[in-house]
Amino acid sequence: MSSLPRRIIKETQRLMQEPVPGINAIPDENNARYFHVIVTGPNDSPFEGGVFKLELFLPEDYPMSAPKVRFITKIYHPNIDRLGRICLDVLKDKWSPALQIRTILLSIQALLSAPNPDDPLANDVAELWKVNEAEAIKNAREWTQKYAVED
Amino acid sequence: MGSCLCKDKNDSEEDNDTGVGRSQQRHARGSLRNSYRNPEVLQTSASVKTLSDTVDKLVRETLDVISTMIDNEPEPPNSILMLHSITEKPAGWIELVRSLMRVVPVEHPMGPSVIALLLDDSPLPTKESVLKVGEMVAPKYGLKNNLRKERNLCVIIGCLAEKLAGPSSIALLNNSMLKYLISNLNEDIEPNVKLLSLIALEKFAQTSENKVTIQKTLQDMKQSPFLTLEEYVLSTSFLLRQIGFCACWCLDNYFPVSGRQYSYENTDVSKINAMLNTKDVSEYLKISADGLEARCDAYTFESVRCTFQITKGCWYYEVLLITPGVMQIGWATKESSFLSDDGYGIGDDKYSIGFDGCRRIIWHNAKSIPHSLPTWKSGSILGCLLDLEKQEVIFTLDGESTDPYRHIFNSVKQGFFAAASFMSFQQCRFNFGLEPFRYPPQRAFTNFNESGMLSSSDKIILPRHIYLDMLRKVSVRDDSCTLCFDKKATMRLEPCSHRGFCVTCTEQLKFCPMCRSDIRRKVQECTDSPVNVEVSDVEAIQTET
Repeated sequence: MSSLPRRIIKETQRLMQEPVPGINAIPDENNARYFHVIVTGPNDSPFEGGVFKLELFLPEDYPMSAPKVRFITKIYHPNIDRLGRICLDVLKDKWSPALQIRTILLSIQALLSAPNPDDPLANDVAELWKVNEAEAIKNAREWTQKYAVED
Repeated sequence: MGSCLCKDKNDSEEDNDTGVGRSQQRHARGSLRNSYRNPEVLQTSASVKTLSDTVDKLVRETLDVISTMIDNEPEPPNSILMLHSITEKPAGWIELVRSLMRVVPVEHPMGPSVIALLLDDSPLPTKESVLKVGEMVAPKYGLKNNLRKERNLCVIIGCLAEKLAGPSSIALLNNSMLKYLISNLNEDIEPNVKLLSLIALEKFAQTSENKVTIQKTLQDMKQSPFLTLEEYVLSTSFLLRQIGFCACWCLDNYFPVSGRQYSYENTDVSKINAMLNTKDVSEYLKISADGLEARCDAYTFESVRCTFQITKGCWYYEVLLITPGVMQIGWATKESSFLSDDGYGIGDDKYSIGFDGCRRIIWHNAKSIPHSLPTWKSGSILGCLLDLEKQEVIFTLDGESTDPYRHIFNSVKQGFFAAASFMSFQQCRFNFGLEPFRYPPQRAFTNFNESGMLSSSDKIILPRHIYLDMLRKVSVRDDSCTLCFDKKATMRLEPCSHRGFCVTCTEQLKFCPMCRSDIRRKVQECTDSPVNVEVSDVEAIQTET
């Protein structure tokens, strides 16, 4: 393994010691740049009750470039596509090295509370979200029940 | 915080890549990622046939085309586009799994890699679909009579265990799955099935609950089957040797057995003066305790450089191919970056050159150059010669030589390391001069092992969990840079006046990390104590061990 930057060590220590409510990020035992993440669906959102699994990877030039994050659990959301890829500005051109794993995960949690169908990644989902929001929210609830609720 | 920005279509290639790169848009060579456009259009011609026939045909096409895929093709092959569209629906996804089991020949050198690739490229399966795959290990499916199906199913299970690490992986590892995989480690099991079952167990263990379950089952057995399998590490059969390597890796990293020493504790490294550098390697490559053998079982394209850097003269090393799939082996400078997630490796930039004996090409600057040597096989010996005086790179395969290549010297003249990249399920062993060379070059040359020097602590290749535990104990000083936590914060940005950054990080900043305002000046605030902390705590810890 390449030697691990202190920045990553420090962030990991803090994530373990002061976890963020509703978010659980655990580094892979064999790869300190790879995190297993669990985000619980925010209250008063169609994702409430769901437990969403994500993967987060810190690239070689982190923190100069953004972490790569992806949903593993299927989710019905206009800004998340079928491969789990997330459309979020802070993961892209709005990334700043002062942001951290925890701030990124908070942004993702916020994206669940406030879907943004005007800037879609999943076009069919976004379309429905715009023309029939009630139906879209119903779908999102169903998907949450089907894929994100543990038996 | 954070809104979506997909409106900005100008850089649409980039735009699609918002997630973890492990699964998207990799390079055409290390892997075959790309974006998918209008797969519906492609589907029409296939709609007349039954789903299974269609999927079988597409998988076959992918197998054929993948060994000839070269250069940066603008689109992935049609077969992959169509499969992607078909697998959007659960029925299509399951059909892909069944088809991979039926179609991929055991002897195809890229078979398991193609399975990993196609599964990784498909949309996420539903939990029901995953459990359906789990049910396929039941005896009623008659796997034991069909080596191809069984081997491929083991590859598939491993891929899913890794891809879905977490709740789905836990659900997949039910009692019958666990029993099935562990019983596949028995002596009488066909070695291909044994190897892939072992790797599947390892991938399940990436989820800690699974690791505990597997470890408990192993401890309840009279003896861990891994101990027997580990002895194959010296086998003359290359298949068994892979089993030995993976068993040893599991014992060191995932399923330790009390009373067994870690490999690094009983490996004689006294005569080894050059090895693969465990501090200069992408995350998932497995390196043996003697630092000379490497293997990749991840679906990323993993790379490594050796410890010894060349500045002048003529140098040679040899590689024993344990597996015959895609590897790019050759030379790279420090500038060459390992973007394992994107499928970039040795030969994919202008600072490196790599020989690929599977697809029969040489890679440099992400361009492929065909060569006339035959396809490599397990047991083949690749020779890599770098002559800095004559400015020549020459590769030999079992003594047969390529023409000299000189292009790379247009970009770099010195500072080379031996280096290699590995596709999934590939393994090879390096000879940097510890043993006599099989095909030494005719011209005068030097070898790494005679010229290299490693401190005794540099030669210790610790199991990763031990190494990472050590790292996590590292503490951070209060006055350190808020970006890297490594060096002292001495810089202030103007005009916004934000501070708390070190010299190195400040150099890389294009805007203020705190307020995003433009930087007009970078001001050094205090110089009373040394700015750079040269000796890292990590090295300090290593010396103590």
